[in-house]
Amino acid sequence: MQLMRRKKKVSANQDHHIEAFFKIVGEKEVLFEDVDMLSYNCDGFTIHQHSPKAVVFPKNTREVAALVKYCAQNDLPFLARGAGTGLSGGATPLNNEVIISLVKMKGLLSVDYENRKAVVQPGYVNLHLTNSISSKGYYYAPDPSSQYVCTIGGNVAENAGGAHCLKYGVTTNHILGLEVVMPNGDIISIGEDGVPDSPGYDLLGLLTGSEGTLGVVTEITVRILKNPEMKQTVLAYFDQVEDGSRAVSDIISAGIVPAALEMMDQTAIEGVEEGSFPVGHPRDIAALLLIEVDGIAAGIDEQIEEILAVCRNNHVKEVKVAEDDAERGRWWANRKTGFGAMGAISPDYLVQDGVIPRSRLPEVLEQINEISRKYELRIANIFHAGDGNLHPLILFDSRNPGETQKAVDAGSACLKACSDAGGSITGEHGVGIEKIEEMRFIFSDEEIEAQTRIREVFNPGNLLNQGKLFPMPGRCLEVKKAVQ
Amino acid sequence: MSMAKDYTMEKQPACSTKSLSNYFPEDHPDPAKWDDCVHCGMCLEACPTYLETGQEQHSPRGRVHLIHAVAEGEIKMDQSFSDAVFTCLDCRACVTACPADVEVGGLIEEARGQIRRAEPLTGWKKAFSSTILEKLFPHTNRLNKVGGLLRFYQTSGLQSLTRKSGAMNLMPDHLSGMEAIMPNVGHPVREKYKNMPVIPAKGDEVKGRVAFMTGCIMDVMFSDINDATIDVLTHNGSEVVIPKNQTCCGALHVHAGDRDSGRKLAKQNIEAFSDSDTVVINSAGCGCALQEYPELFKDEPEWKEKAEEFSEKIQDISKYLYDTGYEKPQTEMKTRITYHDACHLAHGQGVREEPRQILRDIPGVEVVDMPNADTCCGSAGVYNLTNPDMANAVLDRKMENIPENLEMISMGNPGCMLQMAMGVQKYGRSERIVHTIQLLDWAYKKQKEEQRQLQTSGKG
Repeated sequence: MQLMRRKKKVSANQDHHIEAFFKIVGEKEVLFEDVDMLSYNCDGFTIHQHSPKAVVFPKNTREVAALVKYCAQNDLPFLARGAGTGLSGGATPLNNEVIISLVKMKGLLSVDYENRKAVVQPGYVNLHLTNSISSKGYYYAPDPSSQYVCTIGGNVAENAGGAHCLKYGVTTNHILGLEVVMPNGDIISIGEDGVPDSPGYDLLGLLTGSEGTLGVVTEITVRILKNPEMKQTVLAYFDQVEDGSRAVSDIISAGIVPAALEMMDQTAIEGVEEGSFPVGHPRDIAALLLIEVDGIAAGIDEQIEEILAVCRNNHVKEVKVAEDDAERGRWWANRKTGFGAMGAISPDYLVQDGVIPRSRLPEVLEQINEISRKYELRIANIFHAGDGNLHPLILFDSRNPGETQKAVDAGSACLKACSDAGGSITGEHGVGIEKIEEMRFIFSDEEIEAQTRIREVFNPGNLLNQGKLFPMPGRCLEVKKAVQ
Repeated sequence: MSMAKDYTMEKQPACSTKSLSNYFPEDHPDPAKWDDCVHCGMCLEACPTYLETGQEQHSPRGRVHLIHAVAEGEIKMDQSFSDAVFTCLDCRACVTACPADVEVGGLIEEARGQIRRAEPLTGWKKAFSSTILEKLFPHTNRLNKVGGLLRFYQTSGLQSLTRKSGAMNLMPDHLSGMEAIMPNVGHPVREKYKNMPVIPAKGDEVKGRVAFMTGCIMDVMFSDINDATIDVLTHNGSEVVIPKNQTCCGALHVHAGDRDSGRKLAKQNIEAFSDSDTVVINSAGCGCALQEYPELFKDEPEWKEKAEEFSEKIQDISKYLYDTGYEKPQTEMKTRITYHDACHLAHGQGVREEPRQILRDIPGVEVVDMPNADTCCGSAGVYNLTNPDMANAVLDRKMENIPENLEMISMGNPGCMLQMAMGVQKYGRSERIVHTIQLLDWAYKKQKEEQRQLQTSGKG
């Protein structure tokens, strides 16, 4: 809608591209003034800030295709953006891109309960899907902590995970089909309607998690699941991080597959308790586990008993089962707003996203402690312990000269520790700009080269989301040194 | 294959040269407030203007980002910045959603003060501000005269004449809408009780004494609600005093960026209520503004302390009754009602359960839940006059959520009442808009009437 009566003026030195965008999407759907551009200079990863050339708001696939075609023909770098909650800078316009914001394509196009699928537009908010179908007893499983606001289009780009992905899998396990505008403006559909697997290469798998470098997704068919018959949630407090870590391993070894198995350390607890959704966790404990089991009612109680026994065997200080949905809801709100709550105890934070084999949890957490001491920065840990997906939150103050760089280095050191432990540098937040050089921790030059060739097939001009995901060959010697 | 361009670690200057803060040093927006924001975006879906536009500069974190950028000297306070800051409804829904308690509302108001200082109002906005905010609201006698005029307008037949004549078609849409839903004007309680230093409690037991902040719009346009408030308070054993020197709370001035007027009014109110321990108010917007007086005195420590003491005394009527106890009516009201959370009650003061409980305690009142009850209706002080398009869009969204087959919609703020009345009329609906406290008052009155009839028939 037109907010201000003021007519938008394209100044004399403003190039003719803006006029072209006006023609494609309408004047009201184009932003280009400096102040507006500044508000799009980063996503949830704020260390790098670069303003775009323009932000355009298409309303349908046709407009997206026209915008993409125009950019391709005029050699304009461009990228797609959802809610801008990404944590690795995937939507940050490094090259003065034209941002194609998909937030106005936010429809739920259809729900097919019989075949358990739904079709959404990319700007549709993750949690809205579950809210729309819950009255019929269904939900959408991938639940990133930002699910209150993040878009499913963004989830596809980043292959987003979440607390309950331990049992149910990440976004890629829930995508049945995509409509994609290719970097030259062609519109393609991939994934057979309702068919779980189709012959040929797994293009759905390739597109999901490609971090917006292969195409712009304009329609998504997702799997929806029936609500579990029953749910139980356990909260366990530990005096020693090692005891908590061992409990995680023991629960999985016992053959239980919890829906979620989350851990927070003392610094993280301080943050969430200072934030807006405190639940009264004691401040003097070293770690807490939040464990949820769900499924058919039969057997849940036995699993809970087993989990309680495992916790007791590992010297749990206090353990309790959620009394009702309200209590469970409070525990989860506290957990899911954890990253944002760090603002209450630190002016800035950088969240890392390493993955390690579960069995190495205690030693890697100890290494992260050492990194914290070495760089003299506090590090909070809130993470998906069950699948070994760590989220060290490096707390810093960008106003102190040099501290941002220190935080970046500390983050990189955390990822090095993860890859050295036989793990990986990202579990669900993506590589983006943030971990681009750390890709070398896990891939050789040849492997990176092979993958950039795949990108060239889809995105030969490299106009789409340039400078993300893969490092350029031969850069960043110090990282190479670190690998050696 | 083309290579990705190199990039650097520095923030790029967006337009102006990098320098010190582009704010005036006095009453500078508080860096501690934006330091809490880590740009996580959890506020986005709570913000009515983001939902409407999908644009970052019209989102809470976007506004915080821009307010911060002016302090860093990255941008100037230009028209685009002003648009972003003044498009905010000041509804505070973001504050409820924020994991880190970022005081977005306070930042917005500080930034508005800076913009007004940099670029004083011109044209009709200036005329509006000086006529209504400066020359009318702070002056009780003038307000009462306007109230008198309204009364004359409504009772003289002039109103129906105007409506019939189609003269309203000459007014801008949003103003003719306002005219149509103007409540019938009664007599202000400040006039009615001016010769009564203390309005005594009914019954034998006196619970305590409260001071009543009558509000300016409330007392002129909704004096029946003020009457109801006093009656409910005295019915439940409170003595009520109406300090004479009280004035407009200044909320609208502060929302508009006129912080100097806000401070002047705040000082007058702080003094006027200096003898009171508890100050009760029935207008959510005013109550929230009174509680936030300390924000205005960052540079005046002595007044800041007084303001902090004052803000502790302020209680919304529903919270006061809920906390101190009230008689549950014994009579049946038989009505289907829904409750709308005024932003400055739910998000601003954290009062959500109390008014609902009062409604549920009235026998025969069926309270139907409204989805997204705590989403702004678009009234937002005088926002519906200054930003009518956005206010209407926000109202449309609100009206979509009002359940069917209701008799009444209840709430605790006069601005919302006017806006919702406009919504009801716009959509051809029939719900009556009431203040929560009115319903309780009616129940008490009905009960009294029934007791009286019973006694009369008993005697007969």
